[in-house]
Amino acid sequence: MISIQHLTYRYDKKAPLILDHINLEINKGECVALIGQNGSGKTTLLKQLNGLLKPTSGRVTINGLDTATTKTSALARHIGYLFQNPDHQIFCNTVYDEIRFGLLNIQCPPEEIHDRIKRIAGLLGLENKLTRDPFTLSRGERQRVALASVLVLETDILVLDEPTTGQDYRECVEIMEIVKDLNRMGKTIIMVSHDIEVVADYCERTIILHQGRVLEDDATHVVLRKSESLMLSGLEPPQIIQLALRFGPLFQHVRSPEDMAEAVAACAVPGGVRV
Amino acid sequence: MIRFNNVSFAYEGSEELAVRNINLHIDKGEFVGIIGPSGAGKSTLVSLINGVIPHFHRGDYYGEVLVCGKDTLESTCGEISRHVGSVFQDPEAQMVTTVVEDEIAFGLENFNVPAGEIEKRITESLKMVGIEHLRHRGTAALSGGQKQRVTIAAAIALRPEILVLDEPTSELDPQGSRQVFQTLKRLNQEYGMTILIVEQKVMLLSEFCSRLMVMEKGQIILDGPVRQVLEHHDKLLELGINCPRVVTLTKLLKDASLYDGDIPVDVDEAEQVVRKILEGAYDQHTAFDLSLR
Repeated sequence: MISIQHLTYRYDKKAPLILDHINLEINKGECVALIGQNGSGKTTLLKQLNGLLKPTSGRVTINGLDTATTKTSALARHIGYLFQNPDHQIFCNTVYDEIRFGLLNIQCPPEEIHDRIKRIAGLLGLENKLTRDPFTLSRGERQRVALASVLVLETDILVLDEPTTGQDYRECVEIMEIVKDLNRMGKTIIMVSHDIEVVADYCERTIILHQGRVLEDDATHVVLRKSESLMLSGLEPPQIIQLALRFGPLFQHVRSPEDMAEAVAACAVPGGVRV
Repeated sequence: MIRFNNVSFAYEGSEELAVRNINLHIDKGEFVGIIGPSGAGKSTLVSLINGVIPHFHRGDYYGEVLVCGKDTLESTCGEISRHVGSVFQDPEAQMVTTVVEDEIAFGLENFNVPAGEIEKRITESLKMVGIEHLRHRGTAALSGGQKQRVTIAAAIALRPEILVLDEPTSELDPQGSRQVFQTLKRLNQEYGMTILIVEQKVMLLSEFCSRLMVMEKGQIILDGPVRQVLEHHDKLLELGINCPRVVTLTKLLKDASLYDGDIPVDVDEAEQVVRKILEGAYDQHTAFDLSLR
């Protein structure tokens, strides 16, 4: 579905490589986390997917379409893109118009437009904000407006650049539950996040990007045990994994507090330890 | 050092009280974390301490706020800023100059700090937040995280007695965030600076703060030493506040009657808890003291 082969990218001839021989295959229905330090190339890589940037060399195809030769507007029917900063994305005077904008661009039948906007606004708790000016909303609400304007397009692939920044924990969980539901419905999700707990809780596969290269690419629970690679990326394993790692192989399957509690209970016997 | 007597405030044009009947006492040298869902009144509380309310935001103001013994309503913003340094949520809204070192010098010049001393303080504060290399850079080209560090450096260069910070690590990665907390801890321990920080990263608050305040709907609903507040695990989750995962684990271990001692606040302490259980040395009738380690 998404295929990246020998992708390199530099902003101009004299500039250093931002992306350095990236090879990745992402299949339909995957939920993939892309993590790495600021400047590691995450956002540049995401922009290659929807054709905002074109490869310096190598090839990127989305559902078989080569991004180098396909119009960005055509790619937009396959791939929805949420920018890191909602204020870079929002420009209409009302929330309603903001969500409608993309629908008009993809020539959505007029009779469907209103229902689709209502449905997505309901899903994201924006039903009472439709007439508001987005810039009078809180940062968290603006983030959800931007997300709504992406989700309403119902693309197969969703690319989300830090979808939970500016949200409190409850809002963060609400957004991720929506993303997860979309994933269960078969959408492919690729998201950048600095929140390692979100990655641990919601993504099955994790890619670490470091200095423009793929440093790790594996199941999330495997990658989150690689303390050194995470350290290189300004990250640390989730607390429970850090804790589990201190006991050597004893808790190597542990992924959550629940797993850990179960494993500890299984080892603890009054007056001794079960080995 | 800071005292709130029955304080309520509603922003101009709003009927709703942003904070309600707040009574609060903070002593010199405390390191207080404030957490709560958005709209709980956290930023309002901070604005009442640094004088942004009532001096910039107007509205209905009840009760009194005393900072270093003086009523903020009767002090000017300039006077309050001699005692209270502020780091706001959005660094771009706070920066006034175009070069990093000028940004740090700006406040110092306003406070008539001698030129030689200014040089020393710029070097020192940039070093404390780990951005010496950005000294001569333009502020416009900095990343969000770098800008946040510049505003923190500018605030601590003034060596205020009290430092209030409103989500200062929102754009920093986990290591960058930890570094900010380590800096704050040093300021707290070495200079006795009183620190109040609004933050969503409960894991860092638990590890570094001495006191935790939980706000909801304009009120402080939990307030106490970190361990004591974290005991209210279920209540926190119900409020939509994340709990450190080691606390969740401890709760599960308690439910399974494997443990009934103090709540661990970080991974080191959690390791102790698990080791005790594994060694079978844990005696349910004598809760061991985590502070002994």
